Amino acid sequence: MPKLTINGKEVEVPEGTNLIEAAKTAGAEVPHYCYHPALSIAGQCRLCMVDIDKVPRPQIACNTQATEGMVVHTETERVLETRRSMMEFHLINHPLDCPVCDQAGECFLQIYYMKHGLYDPRMVDEKVHKPKAVPIGPHVMLDAERCILCSRCVRFCDEITHTGELGIFQRGDQSEIGLFPGTALENKYSGNVVDICPVGALTDRDFRFQVRVWYLDTAKSICNGCARGCNVEVHTNRHRPHHNQGRRVARLKPRFNAEINQWWLCDEGRYGFKWMDDKSRLTHPLHKGGGEGGEVSWDRALPELVKRLQGCPPDEVGLLASPKMSNEDLWALRRLAEHLGVRNLDFRVPPGAPGDEDDFLIRADKNPNSRGAELIGVAPGPGGRDAAGILRAARERRLKLLWIFHHDLAASGWPEAEVLAAIESTETVVFQGTNANDVSARAHLVLPSAAYVETEGTFTNFQGRVQRFRTAIPPLGESWPDWKILSVVGKALGASDPVFSAERAEQVFNALAAAVPAFGGMTYRALGDTGRMATA
Amino acid sequence: MTGNARNPEFGAEHLAEVRRLQGLYPDKRGALLPVLHLAQDTFGYISLEVEEYVAGLFELSPAHVHEVVTFYTLYFQQPKGRHVVAVCHNLSCHLLGAKGIIEHLTQSLGVEVGETTPDGRVTLLSVECLCACEQAPMMQVDDRYEGYLTPEKVDGIVGGLL
Amino acid sequence: MAEPILTRNFDVPDAHTIRVYRERGGYQAWEKAKGMEPAAIAEEVKKSNLRGLGGAGFPTGVKWGFIPKGSTAPRYLVVNADEGEPGTFKDRYLMERDPHALIEGMLIAARAIGSHLGFIYIRGEYVQPWRIVSAAVKEAYDARLLGKNIQGTGFDFEIVVHRGAGAYICGEETGLISSLEGKKGWPKVKPPFPAVKGAFGQPTIVNNVETLACLPHIITRGAEWFAALGTKTQGGTRLYSVSGHVVRPGLVEAPVSVTLRQIIYDHCGGIPGGRALKAVVPGGSSAAILTPDEIDIPMDVDGPKSKGSMIGSAGIIVMDETVSIPDALMVVARFYAHESCGQCTPCRESTGWIYKISHRIVEGKGRKEDLDTILDVARRGAGTTICAFYDGAVGPYISYIEKFRSEFEDLIRSSAHA
Repeated sequence: MPKLTINGKEVEVPEGTNLIEAAKTAGAEVPHYCYHPALSIAGQCRLCMVDIDKVPRPQIACNTQATEGMVVHTETERVLETRRSMMEFHLINHPLDCPVCDQAGECFLQIYYMKHGLYDPRMVDEKVHKPKAVPIGPHVMLDAERCILCSRCVRFCDEITHTGELGIFQRGDQSEIGLFPGTALENKYSGNVVDICPVGALTDRDFRFQVRVWYLDTAKSICNGCARGCNVEVHTNRHRPHHNQGRRVARLKPRFNAEINQWWLCDEGRYGFKWMDDKSRLTHPLHKGGGEGGEVSWDRALPELVKRLQGCPPDEVGLLASPKMSNEDLWALRRLAEHLGVRNLDFRVPPGAPGDEDDFLIRADKNPNSRGAELIGVAPGPGGRDAAGILRAARERRLKLLWIFHHDLAASGWPEAEVLAAIESTETVVFQGTNANDVSARAHLVLPSAAYVETEGTFTNFQGRVQRFRTAIPPLGESWPDWKILSVVGKALGASDPVFSAERAEQVFNALAAAVPAFGGMTYRALGDTGRMATA
Repeated sequence: MTGNARNPEFGAEHLAEVRRLQGLYPDKRGALLPVLHLAQDTFGYISLEVEEYVAGLFELSPAHVHEVVTFYTLYFQQPKGRHVVAVCHNLSCHLLGAKGIIEHLTQSLGVEVGETTPDGRVTLLSVECLCACEQAPMMQVDDRYEGYLTPEKVDGIVGGLL
Repeated sequence: MAEPILTRNFDVPDAHTIRVYRERGGYQAWEKAKGMEPAAIAEEVKKSNLRGLGGAGFPTGVKWGFIPKGSTAPRYLVVNADEGEPGTFKDRYLMERDPHALIEGMLIAARAIGSHLGFIYIRGEYVQPWRIVSAAVKEAYDARLLGKNIQGTGFDFEIVVHRGAGAYICGEETGLISSLEGKKGWPKVKPPFPAVKGAFGQPTIVNNVETLACLPHIITRGAEWFAALGTKTQGGTRLYSVSGHVVRPGLVEAPVSVTLRQIIYDHCGGIPGGRALKAVVPGGSSAAILTPDEIDIPMDVDGPKSKGSMIGSAGIIVMDETVSIPDALMVVARFYAHESCGQCTPCRESTGWIYKISHRIVEGKGRKEDLDTILDVARRGAGTTICAFYDGAVGPYISYIEKFRSEFEDLIRSSAHA
C-alpha cells in the first residue's frame, strides 16, 4: 500500500491506484473527461494533468500510478494554467448550443469552464461542422459537433457490452463519433452512453427537451424492473407541471453499487417508468355499485372489504400476492393472512412471456422482490393452495373472495379465458395495485396502491441483498402504500400485531426484522445506500 | 468468382491469401491493412459492403473496420479512376512549383482536385509529402513516382494513361 | 569526398540482388554477428555512438537495453520504413538500392535483442520500394538467411513485410505499432513503453531503416572506427536529404561532423542563380527553421540543438530570398492539420485552428492578434500531448513567426482586417 503526499497531505492507497483516485482520498478533485474507472485508460483529453516532484513536466493523473514517496501537486500555478489551456482546446470547435442542449446544468464543459477556464475566447475562424441531432438508436441522440472525442462511449460499447457499434472515424479535427452506416446503437444497455458522455453529444431521446435538469429533485431508489435490483436515482419534476408534459417522474439514472450494477442500468429498467404517471394509474378506491364512476373514499371502501372478509370462511379466501410488493408490504400481508387464518396465499403467477436474461445485469425474473417473498414466507399455509390452485378454486366456485395484488392476470402465463372465468366465478374480487388492467376493470373492489417511488420500503434482490428505496414523490391521488392498506384492514379486523398500527414503513420493517431470521439485525440505517445481505 | 464492391466475395485463392496473411501476425488483426489493400485491388475500392465483408473475415465490428478505412488516405471509399494521379503539395514541391503543376492538371483534365474525369480515366489528388523531394515538383501516378515535373512532362505522362 | 559507406552500393548495377550484395562483401557482418553473444553486439553498438536516424536521435544500443532483463516474452524487431517527414527521402534510396543492407542489419539487431520475428513497416505510397524489399526478403529466405534455424545456427528469424496505408503519424513508433496491429495509427499512451509492452502486447524495438543499415559496417569494421567518423556524441556518417533551392538536390552522405553550410554550398552546389539564402529547415519540417547566420553547425544530434532546432531525420529544405515565409508556414501548418491523428485534444483542435489562421494571413485577412495567438496556443500545447507530433508542429509554428515576425506583420498590416 504505497504512501504518497498529495497537496501536502499524506495518504495511503492500494497498489495500482491511479492519481485521480488517489487524489480523491486526499480530498482533491482532478478534473477529467476520458477517464472512467470502469473503462480502459485512454489518456486523450489531457485535462487531468498534475505536477509530480522530480518530474519535469506535468503528467496525466489517470495513467500515473501512485508509488511510495511520490509527491503530487494538483493545484500549482502550472497545473491551473494547463487546465485553462486544455479547456480552451476543448472549446475551440464546440458549438455554443447551451440554450438548446439538454446537458446544460450537468455539462462538464460548463462546469469545468467555470471552475478552470474563465478565459476570453479568441477563436474567430469558422468552427468545424459535423452532423447534429442524429438518432443513433431507439434511446440515444447524437450531436457530433458537441462531441469532445473522449471515446468513453466507444470504449463502453467495446469493453462493457462487447457490441462495438461506435467508432471514431477520420482523423484530426475531422474526427467524428459515429455508427457504421446503416447500423444502430441497439444493445440493451445503450442508455448508459448518455450517462458517461460528459457533454451533450449523446443525449437521451426520451428526455430530450422535456425539462431542465436544475428543476429536478432526486431520490435514491431501486429499479423494480427485474430481480437484479439495480440502484437508481429517481429524478422528478415536482413543481412545474407545464414541463415534461405534466409527468412527475422525468428520468431514472443509475446509482453506483459495486456489488450489483456498478455504474450501469439496462435500457428496459432505465426507460420503464412511464407507468408511474400513465393515465391508467388507479387514483381512487372503486366499488362496483358505489358512487361516481364507482369512486368511493377509503372510509367506505375498507369497511366494505372488512365486512366481506369477515363473511368468508378462511379456506374460501385466496390471496395472490405479488413479488412487486416491498418486504414491508409482504410482511403486512403475511401477518394479515395469519390473523385471518387464510392458508391460500402465494406470489408465483407465471409470466406472460419467458423473461430474457443475459450474463450481465438482466434477470429473467421481472420482479424486484421474489426473493423477499420467499424469505418472508409468502407461501401456502399447511394444506393451503398455491397460485395455480387458487386460480382453479376460483374457477370451480370454491372461493368466495379473491384478493389480487398488482398482477395483470389476463396478460399472465395463465390462459386468459381461465383467468376471466375465475374472475366471473368469484363472489368478491378485490384488485389492489397501481395501474388498471382487464382484471381490475372486472373487480368488485379496487384499491389504489401507491407506486414504490411514492413511498419508501425495501426490496430483496435475487442474491438476497436487502436494499432501501426512498420516497421520490407523494402518492398520486388517493393511492396508499400496500402495507398501509393492509394495516388499516388488519386493525379493523381486530388484529393486535404492531404491524397493524404502523404509521411508517420503517416500523413495519423493524417488525419484520424482529420476526424473520433472514432479516435479523437489519435496520434502515444499517441498510444505508447499498443494502445488506439477508442471512439465509 | 470474386464479386465486386457492391457484392464482395473473395474467391478461394484470395481467401487462402487472407488466411496466410492473418497467420503471419501474432494477432490476426495485424493483417487488416494488407487485406484491405487486397480488397481494394480486387473490388476496385472499399465500399461499405467491402468493409462489412472484411469485418466478417476478421471477426471485428464493421464500425472498427470503418474507423481504419476512414483514417488512412490510400483507401478509396468511392470508385476511383483507372489511374490515380497524386501531386505533392508539401514544402519542397511547393517551393518548386507544385501549385502550378496542380493548376495545369485541373485545367488539362477538366476536374477539381479530388475528382475523377467523367470518362473514368484519372482521379486527381493533391497530397502531402511523398518523400521524393529531390525530384520536386513531383507526383505519384498509380504505383510509381514521377519527378522533376514541368507542365510538358506532366502532359506526356498523363496523356499516356489509358 | 569521404569514403561512401551507407551509399557504397547505390550506383552499382543490381546491388539490390543478393548475388551482387554478397559479391561486394554483404552478409559478412552477419557471419561474424551470428557467433557473437547478444550482449556483445549491443555493447559494440553502444560504443559506436550510433544514434537513431529516423528523427529522435536516441542512442541505439541503449534503446535495445530497455527490454526488461530476464523477460522471456517473445520480442519483436520492427523496422520503421514509414518515411514521411517532409524533406526526407533517404530510406527510400536505401530500400530501393541496398535492401540487403537493411536485412543484414535486421539480423544483427534481432540477434542482439533475441527477436525471432521482425516486421518491416513500409509506408503505403512506397510501392516500388515495397516490391524491391519484398523480393530481397524472398532472396534471403531462399538463401536460408531467414526462417528457422538460419544456416544451422539454431537461430530463427522471420521477416514480415507490411504495407501502410497513408498516414504520417504511423512514423511515430507507437502509432506505427498500432497500425501494425491492424488499427488506426493512434500513438499509445506511455508508459508502458514499447520495449516493455509494444506490438501485440510484447516487448518491441522499433528502429529506423538507416539506423539498421549502419549495423553491418559497425560489426565488420568496429565500433571505434564508426565512432571516430563522427563527433563526440554521435558516430558514423549519415544520409542528408537535401531539397528546395539548391543546384544539386539529392542525398549527401557525410560524416555527422559535416556542417550545414558545407552541405548546402559544397555538396549541393549552393543556391541556383546565386540567390541569397533566406532560411533552411535542418531536420525535416518538424525542426525549427534556421537563418543564414546559424548554418555553421555540425549536423549531428547536438549541432542544430544548439540553435534551438534539431537534426531529426536530416531532411534539409533550403529556402532562398524569393520565399514568402508566411506562405511556407501555411503549407507546413496544412500538413500538420491533415496528419494529426485526432486522438488528443490539444493537437487535434489547435493544428486545424492554426492552419486556418495561417491560411487567413496568407489570403490577406490576417489580424494583428493572430501571431501572438499562434505563439501562445503552440506554447500551451507543447509537451502536453500523447506523442511528439504536436511538438514537431510547434517547431515551425514558433520558429517561423519568431524569426521572421516582421515579414508576417507586414503582410497583416497590409490586410483589410488588421
